[in-house]
Amino acid sequence: MHTDYIHIILADDDEDDILFFTDAFDELKINTKVNTFKDGEELMNYLNTDKAVMPEVLFLDLNMPKKTGLECLSEIKANDKMSGIAIAIYSTSASEEDIEKTFVLGANIYIKKPADFKNLKKVLSEVVSINWQYHTNSLNKDNFLLRV
Amino acid sequence: MKKKYLFESTSFLRSILLLSLFVILLIGGFTYKHIANLKDSTEVVVKTYKVNVELEHIISYLRDAESGYRNYIATKDTLYLRPYLNASEKVNSSFLKLKGLVKENSEQLENLKVLNILTDSLFSNFYKSNVFVKNDETNTEAFRSLYFKEKIIIDSIRRQSKTMFDLENKLLNVRQEDYQSDSQFTPLFFYSVLLVTLIFIIIAYNKISIDLKHIKVKNDQLLIFKEATNQSEIIGKHGNWIWHIESNMFAYSDNLYRLLGEEPQSFEATFDNFLKFVHPEDVEKFSKDLDKMITVEELPITNYRIIQRNGSIKYLKTYAKSFYSDNGQKRLIGNTSDVSYEIENILKLEEHNLKLERNNKELSAFNYAASHDLQEPLRKIQTFISRLEEKEGNKFSDSGRQYLDRIKSAATRMRLLIDDLLQFSRTNKPDKEFISSDLNTLFENAKQDMAEIILEKKAQITIDTLPKVTVIEFQIQQLFSNLLSNSLKYSQEETVPIIKINYSKVKADEEPDLIKATKSLYHKITFTDNGIGFDQKYTDQIFQLFSRLHNKKEYSGTGVGLSICKKIVDNHQGFIFAKGEINIGATFTIYLPVS
Repeated sequence: MHTDYIHIILADDDEDDILFFTDAFDELKINTKVNTFKDGEELMNYLNTDKAVMPEVLFLDLNMPKKTGLECLSEIKANDKMSGIAIAIYSTSASEEDIEKTFVLGANIYIKKPADFKNLKKVLSEVVSINWQYHTNSLNKDNFLLRV
Repeated sequence: MKKKYLFESTSFLRSILLLSLFVILLIGGFTYKHIANLKDSTEVVVKTYKVNVELEHIISYLRDAESGYRNYIATKDTLYLRPYLNASEKVNSSFLKLKGLVKENSEQLENLKVLNILTDSLFSNFYKSNVFVKNDETNTEAFRSLYFKEKIIIDSIRRQSKTMFDLENKLLNVRQEDYQSDSQFTPLFFYSVLLVTLIFIIIAYNKISIDLKHIKVKNDQLLIFKEATNQSEIIGKHGNWIWHIESNMFAYSDNLYRLLGEEPQSFEATFDNFLKFVHPEDVEKFSKDLDKMITVEELPITNYRIIQRNGSIKYLKTYAKSFYSDNGQKRLIGNTSDVSYEIENILKLEEHNLKLERNNKELSAFNYAASHDLQEPLRKIQTFISRLEEKEGNKFSDSGRQYLDRIKSAATRMRLLIDDLLQFSRTNKPDKEFISSDLNTLFENAKQDMAEIILEKKAQITIDTLPKVTVIEFQIQQLFSNLLSNSLKYSQEETVPIIKINYSKVKADEEPDLIKATKSLYHKITFTDNGIGFDQKYTDQIFQLFSRLHNKKEYSGTGVGLSICKKIVDNHQGFIFAKGEINIGATFTIYLPVS
């Protein structure tokens, strides 16, 4: 187990978003290792392998082909091995319905993809520096959606 | 009321009849008694007359005897003694007759006795003096005293008979007076009794004719009512029927036949004949409902179809209730109406509604999807712009820089539009939860959303205490925040924005704006600002989607915010009105129904 960098996974089918995401971490100069998957199925297949490294934070897009973010979320929370992963929902929309559903399923934070690169960097740096233990204990519907 | 009147009338007439009968009987009785009295009186007169005659007889016999006797004394001819000899017998017979006539009058009997004694003493005197005459001793003192005595007795007899005669006449007079007063009083009595009876009969006649008039009027009304019912049955497409349960007899109204597509009264009204028309698929349900009716005595409204002979299908609705007649017979009175038109309309309406609902759903899904899906490419454009600006910004020429800025502001504006559209389509969704909420809290939340701009513009906001109302919370908060944002956005430059929120509970009929109100009580909340206002002629246009009164460059609105407000208030069955005056300010008035 490497402890000198933060292990991060992003599951998103949008190439542009993946590009923004990796660019942002590159520019943030935080010692991170970012793994990306193109859809939910690919993500789950990886997590289910024996050699899989559990990430500190998993960024999960909701609208993905083959397996949606919601399906991945419920599978992860139902799996003892994975249920400890901090999950950040990373979606274009922030509809009440999606927020409600993901909160109930046990996601840790909800991020609406920012439209400004500076903001993106700010949000991502904030999320990776969260103390999940502390955050989860005081988690409620109001602070679930990350406001920038 | 009327029934009671007739009942009273009947008993009144009965008593009048009884009274009249009684009076007639009374008159009969009186008449009989009067005639009997008359007869009595006549008899008394006759009797008096007879008594007088007999008394006259006695006097005349005695006078004859006396004068005969005198002649006998003078002539000594015994022939003159005959009346004297006959007198005793005749007087005796007259006495007997008199005795019979006056036997009821003790005074007269007493008088008669005295008269009898007097005549007896007269005759004994005759005999004594006769002896003197025979012996021719008429010059003697004894004869003279006898003769003198005889004269005295005859005078006494005359007086006595006069007394009796007078007494009898006096009695007759009394009786005549009685009779006279009797006969005077009787006609008067008859006349008055007859008059009273006549009055009774006239009253009774009057009463009967009034009753007859009443009955005629009632009959007329009944006739009119019957005709009106007939007409209303035809126009209202319904008919009625009666089922006498015990005797299993039916009666249909004319129009019930027409509802079945038949001529009135063209076949026997029976249950089976009716069942022949009922749609085969509905027969079971119809029969079941009828069974229920027999047990619960009140037929629940039953809907069924019938097939007329010409093949057309009609929808009928039947309702019935049981009644008991005066003699305890159970009857079911029912009403059957043709609801085909209504049902066809309802079916049509349902179809339309379904179509409309589908269209609405599609539209709102389209709206949501469009605005939602548009976000993603827009966000990327914005992100790329920010990347371009950051990384390559200094490589642009001045005009390139300007173009970039224009692209940036266009994208920002597009985002604004999409966000608002999304919000608008969200307020469209019907499945929202109404809960009792404190409007003060919702307003505070809305104010919190605007905190930054309030601080920036140093806006002064005053608010009355708001009530607790059953609302869709997030929508009302949205409404407040849109109105606040509107007032802040359209504030006048160099003027501190003052926003006043007033509240009162009002009656719908006292508010001139609320002519379309469906409830009687409303919560009235007004937002008044001192902003740039607007021309009153745009008061309706202001709530239309994408309608803007100002240049995009001056004010950054999308023309969606107030449409959302309108939609939210509509969702709550409320009303919203706008009043404006240029450079003075605007007032938005919200009416929410008091639940």
